[in-house]
Amino acid sequence: MLGYVAIGLPCGILSASIGLNAFQVFLMCALFYSGAGQFMIPNMWLAGSPVASIIASVSFVNTRQMLYSTAFAPWVEGASKRLSFLFAATVTDESFGVNLQKFEQGGWSVARATLVNLWSQSSWTASCVVGTLIGEALADFIPLNIAAFAMTSIFICLLVTQKLTPENIVAALCAIVGVFVCKAVGLAGPAIFLGAIIGVACAFVFARVREKVGSRATD
Amino acid sequence: MQPIDWSQFWIIFGVCAVAMLACRVLPLFLLKGRSLPPRVEEALGYIPPAAFAALVANDLLTPGMFDAGIWPAAAPLVAALVVVVVARLTKSLLWCAIAGVVAFALLLMLV
Repeated sequence: MLGYVAIGLPCGILSASIGLNAFQVFLMCALFYSGAGQFMIPNMWLAGSPVASIIASVSFVNTRQMLYSTAFAPWVEGASKRLSFLFAATVTDESFGVNLQKFEQGGWSVARATLVNLWSQSSWTASCVVGTLIGEALADFIPLNIAAFAMTSIFICLLVTQKLTPENIVAALCAIVGVFVCKAVGLAGPAIFLGAIIGVACAFVFARVREKVGSRATD
Repeated sequence: MQPIDWSQFWIIFGVCAVAMLACRVLPLFLLKGRSLPPRVEEALGYIPPAAFAALVANDLLTPGMFDAGIWPAAAPLVAALVVVVVARLTKSLLWCAIAGVVAFALLLMLV
């Protein structure tokens, strides 16, 4: 939780580095609210990615929220539509784990889960906005190439803390090769989006091949 | 780099926010507790490793990056290895960000 808040500061500083002001960052925290997404936007902008590619890549990464939303559906039965909506709209990677565990243990309500979400969101918003103001004030003193490595480091952390199943490893390796090939053939703009799709497709095919080989072995 | 202007901001923010809200809210209301088709759920599960790997690769790898000699170009790769170790040990975004920035800054100073 503390780490999550502290991460808002560099997120704000890097947002300021691409020209976003505190109000724009506030809007993103309040209505978009995506840690990975809010790091991807300055990261891809600095890398010179076109707007369409940024939107496609960010939205693609955020489709994982559908899994969280599905997982919570049984627990909001009986809660009002408005509360369920507010709850669902403020779920994140971090609060997902906490809330699902509490629901499964019992004695947990949608209202309390929503409070957890809103508390996380307020903390995130405050630290991002403060980070943006720091970034604006210190713009001339922060070496951007070094500060930007914070984003790379965060993506590395998110990557290596995934479950290391063979399928996930295939997805990651193929995505890396896909990005490199895209850049080599002059498709630097959509490289991240195309690379990620290539990775997902390879992992999917790999899983089918494994199933076939597995079923043949048992025949 | 051109700073992001208001119209570009509105497009990126607007589309991403609407897509995000749809992903967060629609399954909860439309599926009403039924699960997603297994193949869809499986494919969604592959997106995070693939997407984060793509982001890392985009930052670290460029065709021809070693053309001007190995060392300066290898500095981010070495810093990235440090971050991998810190990530495995701590699983903390904050420690990874700090370790990465410090390692990268030190490596650049060495050259």
